[in-house]
Amino acid sequence: MRGNLYQTKYLVVFIALVLFLSGCSQGANPDGSTQKSGVQTTAEPTYGGELTFALATSPDTLDPHRSSRAVAVRAFRTIFDSLVVQEADNSIQPWLATKWTVSDDGKSYTFELREDVTFHDGTPFNAEAVKYNFDRILNPATKALNSRALLKPYESAEVLDEYTVKLNLSTPSSSFLSNLSQAMLGIVSPTAAEKYGDQFGKNPVGTGPFKFVSWTENADIKVEKNSDYNWGPSYVENQGQPYLDKLIFKIVPEEATRVGGVQSGQVLAAETVPPQNIVSLENDPNTQLLKVNTLGLPYTLFFNQRREPWKDVNVRKAVMLAVDVETIVKTLYMGTYERSWSPLTPGILGYDETLENSWEYDPDTANKLLDEAGYVMGADGIREKDGKKLTLNYVDASPNREKRNDIAVIVQQQLKEVGIAVEINVTPDFMTVIYEKSDYDLYGNSQVNSDPNALREIYHTPDGSRVLESLVGGYDPKLDELLEQGTVESDPAKREEIYKEAQQIIIDKAMIIPIYIFPYTVAASNKVNGITFDSLGYPLFNDAYIQQ
Amino acid sequence: MAVLSRALMRFSSALISILGSLVLVFFIIYMMPGDPVLSMVDPSTTSPEAIDNLRKELGLDRPFYVQFFEYFTSMLQGDFGQSLVTSEPVLPKILMHLPATLMLTLTSIIFAIVIGVTLGVLSAIYRNRWIDVLVRMIGLFGISMPTFWSGILLILIFSVHLNWLPIMGSDGWATLVLPSIALGFVGAGLILRMVRTSMVEVMDEQFILTLRAKGLSERIVMFRHALRNALIPAITIIGMYIGDLLAGTVVIETVFSRQGIGRVIADAILTKDMPVIQGVIFFIAIVYVTVNLLVDISYSLIDPRIRRAR
Repeated sequence: MRGNLYQTKYLVVFIALVLFLSGCSQGANPDGSTQKSGVQTTAEPTYGGELTFALATSPDTLDPHRSSRAVAVRAFRTIFDSLVVQEADNSIQPWLATKWTVSDDGKSYTFELREDVTFHDGTPFNAEAVKYNFDRILNPATKALNSRALLKPYESAEVLDEYTVKLNLSTPSSSFLSNLSQAMLGIVSPTAAEKYGDQFGKNPVGTGPFKFVSWTENADIKVEKNSDYNWGPSYVENQGQPYLDKLIFKIVPEEATRVGGVQSGQVLAAETVPPQNIVSLENDPNTQLLKVNTLGLPYTLFFNQRREPWKDVNVRKAVMLAVDVETIVKTLYMGTYERSWSPLTPGILGYDETLENSWEYDPDTANKLLDEAGYVMGADGIREKDGKKLTLNYVDASPNREKRNDIAVIVQQQLKEVGIAVEINVTPDFMTVIYEKSDYDLYGNSQVNSDPNALREIYHTPDGSRVLESLVGGYDPKLDELLEQGTVESDPAKREEIYKEAQQIIIDKAMIIPIYIFPYTVAASNKVNGITFDSLGYPLFNDAYIQQ
Repeated sequence: MAVLSRALMRFSSALISILGSLVLVFFIIYMMPGDPVLSMVDPSTTSPEAIDNLRKELGLDRPFYVQFFEYFTSMLQGDFGQSLVTSEPVLPKILMHLPATLMLTLTSIIFAIVIGVTLGVLSAIYRNRWIDVLVRMIGLFGISMPTFWSGILLILIFSVHLNWLPIMGSDGWATLVLPSIALGFVGAGLILRMVRTSMVEVMDEQFILTLRAKGLSERIVMFRHALRNALIPAITIIGMYIGDLLAGTVVIETVFSRQGIGRVIADAILTKDMPVIQGVIFFIAIVYVTVNLLVDISYSLIDPRIRRAR
C-alpha cells in the first residue's frame, strides 16, 4: 500500500507543476518588431541551398487572417503577398496592385491588379480573389482577429473588371493603405481557403516567393521556393524567384539552444537573441548579428488616470522625473536596447525627434512637485497626505518578457527615493486586472504597428464601441481632436505635424513614461547573406542566399 | 486466488487515481485566473458581441457542472474534443506526440538505472574510499542540479564546443543522447544513493557473512545475493521517479526543442487550451499509474517474501 500512497502523492506533485506552469500563462499578443535595414551584400548571390532559421515560439496558425502572433508572421510572410508594400520612408508602393486611386471623399479605393500572378495551387489572382479575401476577414466564421482590426473601416468590395477592384470604407482612413501592406492582410488562395476551411492555417496557399511544404508541430515549418515567382515587392532587390531552394523554420523555444545552434552550425540563423548573447555574438568571427528596431509603440508605462492622485498632472510628472530610465535600460539590456522618449518609435510616420533628451532624471524637482501637491514625507520615508500613504500599484504581466518584471523592481527602488511606496503585482491574468477591472496605477505595454493612428486606440476618449477599458483612462480634448484629424488627413506632411503635436501633448501631460524600443535580433552564420527586414521589422528572404 | 483479487484491487485503485486526477485538473483549470477567450482576442479591437459569440461557440458560457459532465461523457466515448486554438481534434494530436515522450522517458530511465545501480554498487563495495566519495558527490549533483541547467550545460559542452551531438530535434537516436542524460541524471542520483544505502545495510547482515564463510565467490555474494536484496527500495524509488521524469519532459523537450507531449502541454497551458491540457493529463496519468502497477508486480517477482506476505 506504501507504493500506492507515493503514487498518489507524485501524481499530485505533477499536477501541481502543471498548474504552476499555468500560473505563468499569458494571452498571446503580437509583439516585437522593426525597421528596414539593408544587410551585408558581398559576393554574387548563388542559387540553391537550404536555410534553417530558428524561431523562438510556435506560430499559432499560418492563416494570415486568423493569426495573432508576430512569430507566425515571420513564417507566413514568405507564403503570402500583399496588395501594397510600405517602404522604410513610410511611402506606399505597388505590389500585387499596380496602381490605385482614392475617391475624393476618401471612402473608396480602386486598385488595378497585376495580371500575371497565380497562387501556388494554380488559382489565378484577380479582382474576385481580392474581394473574397477581404470578405473572408469580415465573415465571423473565419474568426479573424488582428486582420479584422487592420481592415477597419472596410465595408465591401466591387469587382469592376477581371483586374480592377474597388474597396469601400465606411469612413475615410489614412492608415488603410499602410494596413493593407501588413502580412496579416496578405492575399490567400480562395480555392484553398474554401477547400481547407478552418484547417487552412495548416495548409496555407498564397502567391508568395515560397510555397508551403509541411508543418510538423513543435518541430519545424518547411517552405520551398516558388519558381514562378516574378512579382516581388520594391523593398527587396530580387523580385524574381528566391535564391534558396528551401527555407526551414525550426521551433526552438530555449534561447541558449537557439544561439548555440548557430554557433555550432546546426542552424544557420536564429531569432530573438538575449542581450547577454548579443554582446558575445558581436565579437564572434563566425557569426553575424542582425538587429532592427521594431515599429509602433515602444514599451511604455501608462498611468491610470482614473485614480487619485494620478489625475493630477504634477504628481504624474513627479513620478516621470523620479524614474531614471537611462539607468534601467543600460543596466538590464547592456546597451543592446535603445531608450525611448516618445509614445511612438523612431521611424514611424510623424515621430518627434525633438522629444529626445527633452527631460532628464531629476529627483529634486520630483520631490518639489510632490511637496507642492501636499504630500509630506512621513517618518518611514513614505509620503502621505490626509493620513493616506502615497502608494503606487505597479501591475506587470507574467511571464517575464524582455526582463519587464525587473524594470518594475528598479522603478520600485527609484520611487522609494522620493517617498513613493510601489507595490508590484506581477500577474499572468493582466487581461482581467488591466482591461476589465482597471485595477492598477502603472502598467507597461508595447505594440507593433505600421501607422501612428495606433495612438488613437489608446489615447483617444473611447467612443463606446470598446469592450475593454482603455489604458490611460484620462483624456485631453486637444489630443482627441488631433487624433481624429490624423485618422482622416490624407497629406502625409500634415499628418506628421499632427502626430508631432500629439506626442508633445502626451509627454507634456506626463500620461506615460516611455522606456525602451524593442529590437528584433537575428544571429546568423557568416555564410548567410541577404536577410532583410520589412518596415515593421519582419525578416524577408527574397534576397537571402548561402555562400558556398 | 489471493493474487487475482489483489491484482483486481490494484487495478481498480489505479482507475480511481486516473479519474480523480481528471476531476481535479478540470476543477483547478476552471478556477484558475485567466479567460481563454480573452487570451484569444485582441482586446483593443474586438467587439463585445464577438467575444460573447466566441464564448458561446466554445461552450464556455455554460455552468461548470454542465461543461464537466459533457466533457466527461464524451471522453468516455473516446472523444477528447478539439483544441480551442487550432481546432484540431485532441486525440490524434496526443497520439502523434506521445511516442517521442515515451521514448525519451524510457531511455532516461535506462540511463538512470544503469548509471545509478552501477555507481551505487561500486560505492557500497568501496565504502569510504575515494571512489565512494566521488560517486556520492555525483549523486548529490544529480539530485540537486535542475534539469534545464544540466541540459544547457550538456548542450554547451557537447554540441556547441565539441560539436559531437545534435543540439535540437527529435529525428534519430543521436538526438536522444543528451536529453536522456540530462533527464536521467536526477534519477541516477536518486537510485545510486538508494542502492548504496541499502547495499551497505545488506552487506552488514549475517547472511552475507555466512555466504562468504561458505566460500562463495565475492561476485556471487555481491550480485546474486546482496544486490538482489538491496534492489527492492531502489525499485520503489523508480516507480515514484516516473512522475519526476514525465514532469521533467516539459522542461527537457523545450530545452532540446524535441517533439513530445511535454511541449504540447506547456503550449496548451500558455494559451489555456483546456481540452488539450485535459487530454495530455489523462494520458500521463495512464502512463504513471501503469508503471507503478508494474513496479508493484515486480516486487513479488524479485522478492518471494512479498508474494506470500501480501
